[in-house]
Amino acid sequence: MAQGSSGRKPTGPQNKGSTGGNSSKSAASKPPKGKQQSISRKSVAQARTSNTNNRTQLIIGAVAIVVIAAIIIIGIVMNQKATAVQNAGYGASTKSVATETGGVVTVSNPTAAGTSPKVIDLYEDALCPVCAEFEAQFGQQINQAVDEGKLTVNVHMLTFLDPRSFSQTYSTRAAAAMLCVAQKDGSQSGVYLGFHSALFASGTQPTEGGTSDLSDQQLADLATSKGASDAAAQCITSGQNIAAATAADKSSTATLSTATGGRVGTPTVVQNGKPVDIQPPDWLTTLLAQQ
Amino acid sequence: MIVTQAGSRRVLAWDAVGLVVRLGLAAVWLLSGFEKASDPRETIVAVRSYELLPESLVGTMAATLPYLEISLGVLLVLGFATRLAAALSAVLLLVFIGGVISAAVRGLSIDCGCFGGGGTVAPGATTYTLEILRDIGFLTLAGYLIWRPDTPLSVDRFVRRRSDAAASTTEEETVE
Repeated sequence: MAQGSSGRKPTGPQNKGSTGGNSSKSAASKPPKGKQQSISRKSVAQARTSNTNNRTQLIIGAVAIVVIAAIIIIGIVMNQKATAVQNAGYGASTKSVATETGGVVTVSNPTAAGTSPKVIDLYEDALCPVCAEFEAQFGQQINQAVDEGKLTVNVHMLTFLDPRSFSQTYSTRAAAAMLCVAQKDGSQSGVYLGFHSALFASGTQPTEGGTSDLSDQQLADLATSKGASDAAAQCITSGQNIAAATAADKSSTATLSTATGGRVGTPTVVQNGKPVDIQPPDWLTTLLAQQ
Repeated sequence: MIVTQAGSRRVLAWDAVGLVVRLGLAAVWLLSGFEKASDPRETIVAVRSYELLPESLVGTMAATLPYLEISLGVLLVLGFATRLAAALSAVLLLVFIGGVISAAVRGLSIDCGCFGGGGTVAPGATTYTLEILRDIGFLTLAGYLIWRPDTPLSVDRFVRRRSDAAASTTEEETVE
């Protein structure tokens, strides 16, 4: 490769400019004798056209590449805004308490002074990967809003992804475990939300159609690591709330379906009986600012 | 369309086909691109579900792909650098087809996420064959435009007509 111009092939038409396109037309500067002579005038004119075209094509191609690059860069910036982690750095909830009523866990900070909190209903499935993205993006903002007494969250854990879990029962067992933590340790500040976040953490949440998920013992260990009591761990390993979680799935699916007009998907946020558009990264900021 | 010879009807027919193909492929890209762009979290999940990229690149791919598709759609709508846009479309479609085939071969149960959505589906609920056939259909459109990039109502044709008119008088000859 280092031998000067040896890369050029000795045979073939010698195209000037090597722009690649329309080789049969652009070789007019030195026609290799024969029939070309009879159409010399026309072909010269045509070649000029063709050269102009080649240059135009190059310019158009370059502009097109710039257009593609520009759209992608704008897109990446927009995407970054849309997926930016909200209130990054706040971390875990420290002041929230949880109470369980009929399989729905209400998370709030009743001791916070000030305005009455906005209330949302959050529908999730422990196996749902988009819920994990939701938690990663908005979890800390929710923690902070709850801690500051601005937000009350009714957590509804659905279980429709059970069949896609390795054990076929993961969503239900995880929902039951969360009920256990709410019942036994709901009054312990931050424990329920800590466990809730941990279940969706990258590396902890099992994958749909995966080759493993968390056993009851592992769920109990995870809860304990987030400050849950032995009573909660006992509740989890004994499967005490499995039936309650299944019943809660039924009733919550019904309320969600009513709110959304039949579409049951997670994550979904409902406020005042209507679904909230959670695509804008500032949906919660907007919601909290409502009068 | 300026051609006034016996072949004008055939030229019109080619033009009609070319226009439909170009706008059809443009619609595919714009639709799929906007669907993906409108739900970035879902798109991240869809990209991840192929299990082809390391986690560090999943976000970048999910952020880039929708807008690459949109940009190809925009170029095709305008008929701007049609052959280049068609060639890039073909490359992208081949990548998609490869991705779906690899998912099928590895026994993953995922939705291709081709038009938004995506992620895993129940085993047996995959539609890989259909997805591949559909992509091959789109690939055919792209192939046609690589072959015959000159279509009516395009910036390309407008620019070429102008440069032809400026450079010489042999306009008819260069109309394919």
